[in-house]
Amino acid sequence: MTATNTNATLTRRRYRGLVYGIGGLAVLGLLAGFVLDRHFAGTLVYLLGAWIAGGIAVLAPIWIEATLQDERDWELHNRASGILVGITMVLGLSILPALYVLAAGNYIEITGAVSGVILTLSALFLLYGVCFGLAKRRI
Amino acid sequence: MQNDLTTRREDEGLSQGALADAVGVTRQTINAIERDRYDPSLELAFELAAHFDCSIEDIFDPEQDE
Repeated sequence: MTATNTNATLTRRRYRGLVYGIGGLAVLGLLAGFVLDRHFAGTLVYLLGAWIAGGIAVLAPIWIEATLQDERDWELHNRASGILVGITMVLGLSILPALYVLAAGNYIEITGAVSGVILTLSALFLLYGVCFGLAKRRI
Repeated sequence: MQNDLTTRREDEGLSQGALADAVGVTRQTINAIERDRYDPSLELAFELAAHFDCSIEDIFDPEQDE
């Protein structure tokens, strides 16, 4: 646990404001590029913003002496991840098999977009499993 | 888990932010502990006990109110 400095230039509030603000601007830039038919410029703004916000989010707690994140933040992340995985797993297990059976019976048609969502969720679960395995090696 | 952190902190005339600075966490974490909404890690519990010069059991009571 590191010592803290209330006079530090970067406070927790400013840190969050910077990360969320730059991240929000990046998303807005991407959407603006999409709407204004400036796809490359929008993508550039998004990538720049995402990397800057991500860099600040990861590096500031390491470099800055003030307490920008602590154990409760990690606990919140853990709980939110657990809830997300739980909801996705319950919905996935309860809906996806039924979808495929109904599609096989020609009651519904699984479109390309739905297939994309299913594949993305499956890939995320696979990635979660890999990350879980990595995390487990440290505990 | 019940605790008497608020009483101990106020007895020392400390704000939540000042106590947070002293033990290296955020003010929100101290607030959450005082409201019994968050149980601190063993490391933080030791930090708090050291700060108030007492044992962890003096601050935290594992018995829940019915």
